Formats: sequence, C-alpha cells, structure tokens
Amino acid sequence: MSLDARGWRMALVPDALINPPAGSAALPDALPILQAHGYGVLQLPPSGNYGPLLAVIADQVAEYSHHGYAVVAIGLHGTAGGGLHWRRLAPLLRHREVALPPRHLIRPGAGVDAEAQRLGAFLAAYDVPVEEQRRWRR
Amino acid sequence: MEPRRKVALVASCLLNQNAKVCQGAHYPGVVSPVVEALRSRGYALQQLPCPELAFAGTRRWWAVYEQYDTPAYRDHCRRLARAIAPLIEQYLRRGDELVLIGLDGSPSTGVRFTSSQPDWGGRPDRPQDDWKILPRRGIWIEELEAELAGRGLPPLRATGWGLDMGRFDEAGARADLEQFLDEPERSGVEGPAAT
Repeated sequence: MSLDARGWRMALVPDALINPPAGSAALPDALPILQAHGYGVLQLPPSGNYGPLLAVIADQVAEYSHHGYAVVAIGLHGTAGGGLHWRRLAPLLRHREVALPPRHLIRPGAGVDAEAQRLGAFLAAYDVPVEEQRRWRR
Repeated sequence: MEPRRKVALVASCLLNQNAKVCQGAHYPGVVSPVVEALRSRGYALQQLPCPELAFAGTRRWWAVYEQYDTPAYRDHCRRLARAIAPLIEQYLRRGDELVLIGLDGSPSTGVRFTSSQPDWGGRPDRPQDDWKILPRRGIWIEELEAELAGRGLPPLRATGWGLDMGRFDEAGARADLEQFLDEPERSGVEGPAAT
C-alpha cells in the first residue's frame, strides 16, 4: 500500500452540507474541513423517498466498516434525522451487521467558526481501534 | 419555484478516494482539484455510487473492462442506476443543468476512455502498464446512460477526470476539466470516440 494515499476515514454527509442552500451562511463549509482531515465523503440524498439509494449506500458502508475503514456521520441539528435519513439508514446498517457510525451534529446558528472547529476536532479525534488499523491497513 | 441549478454528477471516488482499488488512491479523501473546479463555477455536487466497491469489495484486484463485462456485473450496475436515476430525473425535470464527471481509464466509470486487455485473467501477476486505453465508456457509465435513456431523459454532457489513464497528470487533468466546464453548453453528448 506504499503507493496509496487513501486516508481510511470517511463521513456520511447530508446533501445540505455539501450543497448548502442559498443564504445558509450559518453553516460551516464541511467539504474543506473533511478534506483537511483526510476524510472521504459518502453523500446522502436530499430529503425525499430514496430507499433503493439508501440501501446502496448502506452496502458501501458495510463493506468499508468490515475492512478497517473508519466511518462517521455528520448531521445537521434541527433537521429530520440530521439530514442523514437516519430512521431509514440505521436499520439498513444494522441489517448488514454494521455498528452505527458515531454522529456529530452541526448546530446551525451556533457560530460558523465555532462549529467548524468543533467538527474539525471531532474528525481529528476519531478512528477505528489500533488493532483494526493494524489488521487491515498494510 | 426553485431556481435552475448547475449540478455535477461525480464518480464516487472523486469525493472518496477510499473507494479506489488498492494502490489507486492519489488523495486521502476528496479529490480537491475536481471539487474546487466545480464549486468555483457554481456546481452543486451529486455523488454517484461506486459499482466496483459494492460488487467486488475494498480488496478487489485491479481489472479491465473485459473482466467486468459480465451479466452479473451489468445487473449490479443496473441496480445502482435504478437507485440513483430518480434523483437525476428530478434534477432534469426541474430544468437543472447537469454534467457528468467520470473517471477516465476506469473499466467502470470511464467516460471518454476505459482500460482494456482481453487476455487478462487468472493469477494477477501481469506487469505494470500491461493494458490498453480505449476510447469508450466504462460499464457503469454505459448502464447508467442506458437507464436514463430508458426513462426518456436527454443525454448528459460528460467528461472524465484522468486518474486511471496509467500515468496521472494532475495539472493536465485539471486544465482538461476546466476547459470542459467552461465550454458553452452544447446540445447532444460528447461520445468517447470523438475526443
């Protein structure tokens, strides 16, 4: 794996954080923060009925989670399921024997800089246990 | 009524390099030059699923077009296409301007080019660079486009980020992408052989 630059960490991210609605200056720009911490993105669809797509996303999360990758979820406080379709996604993950990823909720209106720092600290602190890293990340 | 948006459908690994085959990741996570080029031009991002990851797993071998060109893999790609198509259809029906950014050289997500070597198979001991680049779609893009066409949707303007072309040239790939994005919108779609 010496030629490979993958970061082994990724985040489930609501559409509203990747594509903030116009005028949503109260939210930190999550993509550069994720990028700066070496995280990849698994984008959730916008609100709506996207069951088959959520199942596909759950398949991907299962594959990653079972092979040494760290997966977290970044949600939006005050939106249904954090914008993560959590009510539908969580059972899909459990069905695939995936422990639910740790969730971090961004609080719109709590201060963009403070929320950006809080998100960065969460991302920096998380990874799978060292034994898991040693097993898979060779 | 919502304003017309510009939306870029991007290959999964352009937002998540962890999806790449072993030794294929050039970035830790997000492919920042692609994201910057798109966002600076006002594009919203829509990530496509990764067909290879969900089919062959994180620890899959490198492969070429011919190895993935099987009924089972095409069925899998069609399942993914049916899962994402309603979202794409929603964008198109409300008049959003869509572009598709794939991964040139990929057996699955290639847009202008895919990798080919008809005699690959068996023990994976082939020397480096022992494959060809052909001007054609990858299998996932073929199936996605077929699904969209089956729904009566127009062809998408499409190009590929040249990550899987053998030797990756980031500056060249970025210039190529920016040229594509800055071209005036044309009717019709750029076929692989025309590039």
